[in-house]
Amino acid sequence: MKKKILAIALAAVMVFGITACSGEATARDEGGATTEASASNKVKKDVYSGEQEIKIAYVAHDLSTPNNQAWLEGIQREIAPWSDHVTVQAFNGESSAETQVTIMTDIINQQYDAIILQCSDGTALADSVTQAEEAGIPVVTLNLDCTSVHSALVMAVDYDAGRMIADQIAEEIGGKGKVVIIEGVQGLTRTDNMERGFIETVEANYPDIEIIDKQSASFEKETAMTVMNSFLQNYDQIDAVFAINDAMAEGAALACQSAKKGDIIIWGADGEKDALEMIESGQMTGTIYTNSWDQGSTAAKIALLMTGSEYSYSVLSETPQVIMEPVIATKDTVGSISEEDRW
Amino acid sequence: MKKLTLNQLSKPIILVAFFLILTILRPSSFLSASNLGNVLWSVSVYGIMVSGTIFVFLLGGIDLSIGSLCGLTAVTCVMTIRHFNYSTTGVLLGILLTLGVGLLAGLVHGVIITTFKVPAFLVTFATQIIFLGLSMIFTNNKILSCQNPPAFTMIGKNPVPIILMIIAAAISWFVLRKTATGRYVYAVGGNPQAAAISGISVTKITIMAYMISGFTTAIGGIVLASMTQQCMASTGSGYEQFVIMAGVIGGISLLGGEGTVPGAIFGAVIIGLLQNGLNLMSVPSTQHGLVRGIVIIAAVGFDALQRDPAFQGWLAKRKQARAKNA
Repeated sequence: MKKKILAIALAAVMVFGITACSGEATARDEGGATTEASASNKVKKDVYSGEQEIKIAYVAHDLSTPNNQAWLEGIQREIAPWSDHVTVQAFNGESSAETQVTIMTDIINQQYDAIILQCSDGTALADSVTQAEEAGIPVVTLNLDCTSVHSALVMAVDYDAGRMIADQIAEEIGGKGKVVIIEGVQGLTRTDNMERGFIETVEANYPDIEIIDKQSASFEKETAMTVMNSFLQNYDQIDAVFAINDAMAEGAALACQSAKKGDIIIWGADGEKDALEMIESGQMTGTIYTNSWDQGSTAAKIALLMTGSEYSYSVLSETPQVIMEPVIATKDTVGSISEEDRW
Repeated sequence: MKKLTLNQLSKPIILVAFFLILTILRPSSFLSASNLGNVLWSVSVYGIMVSGTIFVFLLGGIDLSIGSLCGLTAVTCVMTIRHFNYSTTGVLLGILLTLGVGLLAGLVHGVIITTFKVPAFLVTFATQIIFLGLSMIFTNNKILSCQNPPAFTMIGKNPVPIILMIIAAAISWFVLRKTATGRYVYAVGGNPQAAAISGISVTKITIMAYMISGFTTAIGGIVLASMTQQCMASTGSGYEQFVIMAGVIGGISLLGGEGTVPGAIFGAVIIGLLQNGLNLMSVPSTQHGLVRGIVIIAAVGFDALQRDPAFQGWLAKRKQARAKNA
């Protein structure tokens, strides 16, 4: 696992290298003055020297959810060796872009050294992110990015996760059958892409699989139970369920169980602890697991790399992306995810 | 026999209309025992909560904290059960402790509101954040799963939540309709000064109302935790909107003094039926909000029209006119 993380980080650095080089050329063409001006705002702080204090801000989408907490813990783990001079402060965005904008202003005024952010609304936060970068504070986004160019985006697979789940389900039901989708809240890039990946793969590769219905359960377990119950009422035959997150997949599994329809294939995505347990016990079929702790650590690693380098965001023409390695967790493979990696 | 007026019949008429429309549109799936069971199951937590929160509404107060209190009580229950190693004793203690937490929260609300004369809106808005904060600290923002023991998981399985909702509603209805306390609640909500002059302890009634609201919220929290077999800080978040909505759809006046338990339950059932109908008809979820909003306005509007004196006057006139013509 550790090696994979390193590989990802290395890949990230390489991406930076490439983008930085090509970006620099264009920046120079446009005139060196702008590059110099924005570069001068940045204070280089080397984490290893231990001489300067480094303050990292983590702005969560909603701190009260397990995933957000796992990211925070990942960041904390990453900076733990330097805890005497590196600190992380978590801010709760409370699912509101306005709140996040206010928080971002405060953070910029307090001269933090790096920001790790999940944008509740990519357009609404674009200005704040640019302001931070202009002030020499690198911004690393987690899963939810923004429309303006910033230092890095660390994300779990989205479109490909949908594609992988489609392939898995197709294999399990023999390339033929009826499938329902339980959606989350629409308008979030990650889950929208995942759903698109799923639907497009099914339509392109599996003509005999029919997506008979899709309904939203707002990412909530209890709502997913109600939605699944109405699917079971409405359709005599359902072969498989794809829920966009694990909480909803768990809900669907409970609903199928109490309706005595345990043979329905149920897939979720995220890989949270409870879902992995349900896969082990056979109540759920599978999920796409992402190590959220690892993802937080990776973001922190990149943030520290940025603060310790001369690098400036102005050389970027687009946001470099670091994609976390997905693990397909089924009953056969779930055992390979060790207890300490379950968030 | 007392003659039923159109006013009293408007809610049943709306319900029957819903049933007719959905049965015609989805004959095979809607009108089955299991589907109707699912509808009631899905609104049972709202139903349980509104059965207690109605006391607060009737006083003209509001309890915005019930959503996050529902979460905090779910956390209390699950943590106790986990602490006692998923034993049945743990479940029993967990339930008792949880109900205690609910009552205590209500007591705090009631005392602050009556002693410092702070608007209930502000107090419960603040405690809403406090309860969520406490849940976040206790759970460390993690999911606490609790898939055992059966004594706990059975609470959330059909038909237990529905039975609990019926019991809660029946007790609440009995207290409000048949006891002196219930009459005091309506009296204080209608005119607190007059009630105080006539010897009713407004303070006592207010504290009691918030405690009942906390108590039913705690039951809701236990049921919700058992339904999902887990809890986290955000469990129950937003439930206050649904409970308030159920109450208002059911004809409760947020100004106090007006509203009934059957009305509130009717409101909860309407919310469930709407969702169920939209799901059964495979309406894309992007359109749910629009349809839901319009239907709620139509239902509430129809209900309000029946109770409007001008409309009743017009009806009476028409009747007279018809009688004359005949």
